[in-house]
Amino acid sequence: MSQSLVNIESRKKSMHYFFEKVVGPSGFKFTPDEEMMNFLLEQEVKLEGKHGIPFCPCQPLRNDRVRDMQIVCPCIPFHRKHFDDIKRCWCGLFVHKDVIDPDKLPQLPPKEVNNE
Amino acid sequence: MKKITVYTLSTCPWCRKTKNFFNEHKIQFTYIDYDLADEPTQKRISQELDAVGANGFPYVKINDEVIVGYQPERYSKALGI
Amino acid sequence: MSERFIRAISTDEIAPGGMKAVELDGNEIVICNSGGKYYALQQRCGHMNAPLDMGTLDGIYLTCPMHCAQFDITNGEVLSGPVPSDIGHEIPPPFLGKYLQNIEMMMKHVRTESIRTYATKLEAGWVQIKL
Repeated sequence: MSQSLVNIESRKKSMHYFFEKVVGPSGFKFTPDEEMMNFLLEQEVKLEGKHGIPFCPCQPLRNDRVRDMQIVCPCIPFHRKHFDDIKRCWCGLFVHKDVIDPDKLPQLPPKEVNNE
Repeated sequence: MKKITVYTLSTCPWCRKTKNFFNEHKIQFTYIDYDLADEPTQKRISQELDAVGANGFPYVKINDEVIVGYQPERYSKALGI
Repeated sequence: MSERFIRAISTDEIAPGGMKAVELDGNEIVICNSGGKYYALQQRCGHMNAPLDMGTLDGIYLTCPMHCAQFDITNGEVLSGPVPSDIGHEIPPPFLGKYLQNIEMMMKHVRTESIRTYATKLEAGWVQIKL
């Protein structure tokens, strides 16, 4: 049994408030694609209701505390180089501050990023 | 005909787009939502991801080629369409 | 018993961002100063009754010090429950491990409730609370 009875919109709003403060200093902001942002935040609220922790909606839980802590949102610090290279985080909730069109940012895994 | 296997998360919008890609192109594929799978299946998929160094989903296998992340141009190229 | 506003604290007792616990007529209350606005809530966390005044206030969000449940101070609404202490299959040292696992098992059944709020008003340098 876990806390899954919170008001989703209220929790989304407080998540937005806290996450914005955390990712800003790393040079990231919420994606300007509001539909995507709302969808992902909603998934995270539901994941938090299920697991007690807002995990990334697009990365696997491994049942290994050390690995799983690395996908707690915002997970940017644990994937800094990769996310800086693709100017977004994996699920796309956050993008570099200068990004205007997030649709143009491909979802490339670490191995495929061009290191210039 | 190429064999297409997809590992996804029910919570991931890029995984949804990946499934839509194959559906819209009328291409047959099988998929497993990792988060909804039983523990042995999760373990197997987790190991497979580690074996190729995949960081997350969507994870698409077209015959022997593995494509990580939503990359429709690469799907098209691998399928020759 | 009629509802009335009673004096709780003076307006210079809590700086913005701060909190203070008071007891009024048997009501355990935490008063929060969020950006100069005062809010009064039930002092006891809706999870396991820990004292919220010992937690942290950020904007309109109050986080409990015990297990980090979070509340909106404007309406008492619970936003997230406790953070689980163990998310893996770690093997803790035997006796302590069993004790902690037992607690964790029981805590899984605890639901975090939203908390009661009290209306406030400012008058002549006092924060007043309606009981």
